[in-house]
Amino acid sequence: MMADSPESVLAIAREVAGVLRPSWLRRLQERIDARMARVPARLNEYGFDDQGLSPDFVRQNMLPIALLYEYYFRVRTVNIDRVPRGRVLLVANHAGQLPFDAMMLSSAMLLEGEPPRIARGMAEYWVSELPFVSVAAARGGALVGTPKNCASMLDAGECVMVFPEGVRGMNKLYEDRYRLMRFGLGFMRLALETNTPIVPVSIIGSEEQQPGLANLSGLARLFGMPALPLTPTFPLLGPLGLLPLPVKYHLYFGEPMSFEGDASEDDADIEDRVDRVRAAIEEGFERGLAERSGIFS
Amino acid sequence: MGLDTLPERGPACPPVTSQERELTKTDATIKKVLITGVAGPLGRLLAAKLSLTIDVCGVDTHRWKGPRPDIRVHRVDLRKRQFEDLLRAERPDAVVHMGFVRHFDRGDRVRHDVNVRGTKQLLDHCAKYGVRKVVVFSSSAVYGAFPENPYGMDEDCPISASRSYPEIRDQVEVDALASAFLWQHQEIETVVLRPVNALGPKVGSMMSSYLKLPWVPTVMGFDPVVQFIGEADLLDALEMAVVKPLSGVFNVVGAGQVPIHTAIQAIGARAWPIPGPLFNAVCRQLFALKLWHYPSGAVDYLRYPVCLSGRRFEDATGFRPKVSLSEMFDSIRQRGG
Repeated sequence: MMADSPESVLAIAREVAGVLRPSWLRRLQERIDARMARVPARLNEYGFDDQGLSPDFVRQNMLPIALLYEYYFRVRTVNIDRVPRGRVLLVANHAGQLPFDAMMLSSAMLLEGEPPRIARGMAEYWVSELPFVSVAAARGGALVGTPKNCASMLDAGECVMVFPEGVRGMNKLYEDRYRLMRFGLGFMRLALETNTPIVPVSIIGSEEQQPGLANLSGLARLFGMPALPLTPTFPLLGPLGLLPLPVKYHLYFGEPMSFEGDASEDDADIEDRVDRVRAAIEEGFERGLAERSGIFS
Repeated sequence: MGLDTLPERGPACPPVTSQERELTKTDATIKKVLITGVAGPLGRLLAAKLSLTIDVCGVDTHRWKGPRPDIRVHRVDLRKRQFEDLLRAERPDAVVHMGFVRHFDRGDRVRHDVNVRGTKQLLDHCAKYGVRKVVVFSSSAVYGAFPENPYGMDEDCPISASRSYPEIRDQVEVDALASAFLWQHQEIETVVLRPVNALGPKVGSMMSSYLKLPWVPTVMGFDPVVQFIGEADLLDALEMAVVKPLSGVFNVVGAGQVPIHTAIQAIGARAWPIPGPLFNAVCRQLFALKLWHYPSGAVDYLRYPVCLSGRRFEDATGFRPKVSLSEMFDSIRQRGG
């Protein structure tokens, strides 16, 4: 075989790697392929949807994430069948310095949801400014978290993940684990506006994956970073220190909740409903923490 | 063809009173249209298309070689007295304004003066001489490329391109002038069109000339979704804007949108990813030396998506884009691709 361009060399390398791949890895990829084949999507002639999602990209790059899902975090889902078809908001707790929780939740929807679907993430504004990351996020179905984007996703019948704690949750300290930070109210207004059911999701495990000892927010601002967490391993070990502990993930899906009312109500009235979602997530915490024997099992 | 072709100036016509205008308004059909910037590629095609059903005259500072005999082309500057004389003599029912300087070769001042002052005067004359329909050809670029742009932006999104791309603030001002005119003169049907990047064998846009570069520089690590409209669709949309009873600001969106690297590949070109900060710096230097046509503000359109919703225009006119993405890309396909 002649190798006349870097692309063809890469293609050959990929083929060789494919043949050498152990059978269990191949089976995992086949499982991804089979699930992806059933994902509904409205694609154009080049295989993208209007927001730049590419199922082909997901299929080709899902393997490392699926490995994390199966073998590193050993994710266990409880009641994932409660997620209704059609538009739905998955509202979950957020923790662990890096968004592995979002990654695992969307992987669960893809690998174990029925039907398999690509849960759309709502990313922070600055994610769009990061080279490579922004492209990977868009191809994987994430969008900038504006109300308009979220509403149009729900109108299109998609499953949207929301973490109302935002960075407040992501950078929470170890002592605050399984304690929900203040919730943003935007998701509830959108749910009311678009008449979308909410499924509360309690994620057990992520809150211990990267114990935050302190958050040097002053220094972070100085460097123009969203946060600068101090953990037992970061920044001590450099970027490697950002690797999460191999905690076991448990995803508890609550009963779908429907809310009625006017999206333009006062904050106080919206907050009442938000508190019911919070309570549902906390209920999942209680059950999940009681059911597990340790953070690694 | 030059100024000598100006028609004889008729008897001095007083400006139309509102009463007269009410009378003319009842006769809704557009019989005569004047196109500014008619010698440009889009202007020529539009003139040819409209002339099948409507009496067409055009204005441009550039000479248009070989216009059809039924299309009268006048070589006039919009900012000059002769243009007002021409409008008074021709008395068109509709004016399509696309006589803009869209390149940067002649500097900021010229661009601003031709585009903003030219538009202001044109709109004033239109109000004065009983024009019933004004179509202003703006652009999707006026929204600006920002990381927080949602997909499917509608016409109510602020037009903030000047924030990161001050070189096209005149274009933003033109859009704002036309939108203000829309409210100030409700007796005139005013249509502001904000079409996405045009692609076609004849008609281009800044994006299409970029895609036709011998080597296409892109920003490393970025691949925003870009919207395109085929030239035939754009002409249809323009004709509808002229002919149909319509007023308002409208995005005009074509048959699809793809990430920019996919577009580059599809036209058979090769992308050259350059790290962002380097790209901006080189762009700024080369632009200052006039070796490169795009200011560094334009680079943001290669980073962040500007994706519009065309629903308002489609609902109002029944417009449906027909030229598919692959047809558009084939039409400008590079040799050897």
